[in-house]
Amino acid sequence: MNKYDEKWEERINALLDGDLSNEDAEMLKAEASDDRELARAIIEAYQLQKAMDTIHVERAPDSLRKKLKAIPRQQRPAFSFNLLQPRWVTALAVVPLVMISVSLMQPDTPSAAEIAKARQDLALAFTYLDKAGQFTGREIESTIGTTMSQAIAGSVIKNIQSQNETSKEKKV
Amino acid sequence: MSKIYRQWVKEYQDQAWTVARYILKDAQEAEDATQEAFVKLWNNQDRIDPEKVKPWLMKVTRNGCLDRLRRRRENVEFDEAHTAADTYGPMQGASDSETGAWLKRAIAGLKEPYRSLVVLRDVNQHSYEEVAGMLELSLAQVKTYLHRARKQLREQLAEVRP
Repeated sequence: MNKYDEKWEERINALLDGDLSNEDAEMLKAEASDDRELARAIIEAYQLQKAMDTIHVERAPDSLRKKLKAIPRQQRPAFSFNLLQPRWVTALAVVPLVMISVSLMQPDTPSAAEIAKARQDLALAFTYLDKAGQFTGREIESTIGTTMSQAIAGSVIKNIQSQNETSKEKKV
Repeated sequence: MSKIYRQWVKEYQDQAWTVARYILKDAQEAEDATQEAFVKLWNNQDRIDPEKVKPWLMKVTRNGCLDRLRRRRENVEFDEAHTAADTYGPMQGASDSETGAWLKRAIAGLKEPYRSLVVLRDVNQHSYEEVAGMLELSLAQVKTYLHRARKQLREQLAEVRP
């Protein structure tokens, strides 16, 4: 396609799109009356435009319409790390508390009474941990089934028992 | 959010389907490509400017169709460009529906990006600016390519409809 063609095309398309000013449109028509090629190009462009008017946006088939409507039901909401979710708020609140507790539990030379108190607290903490393990087991069981929960809860309890035994051994 | 999604489906499903249908020329594949585009719309709805959903969706639909074409590893353009004009005889005295059917095949036989340009601008009636955004082309490029595409169609039409 040469420059001459491009220029023609630009003007013919502008004419069909209604973007050509009256003056320019008249000028193009005047040129076409002296140029058979240009006249033919304009006529063919009109014919194409008329043919284009017969085709329209196609209606999507019913099967597709149903599939598109079903997308929200089928697509699970994507996991998002939203810091405002309750579980993240709780987790974030626990972090400084744990840090403070750990720092307070670091005396230079603990007395015998303090050690005894610490052991008591530790035993209490293990009791809570045991309960938490059982609770977690139940949660897991309801979510992913009994088999997995037994394995996890069993592991947690075994671990706690082992810790208790170690603690008792130390006492002895 | 589901409500606005349903509104988008209602407004754009036919346009997206038309784009996919012309590019892929296969109803089942066009259906799959359109569905994929809407799944992406659903999954990205929070990140898309509501004002730009239509161009975003048309672009995603078209890109998905072009990916599918690449995967097919067929020289669809060459084959169909010839099929369009060769299969049909003279159109003189042909009815509008016959001309329309011929024209659809002729459009489907155009090479990219001409085919998408004609479908988006002349069939779906999007503005030049919208088409430029969908195809990531400048306005001048859109106009130039569209002129070439129309010229090809015009010449093919003149051949079969003397």
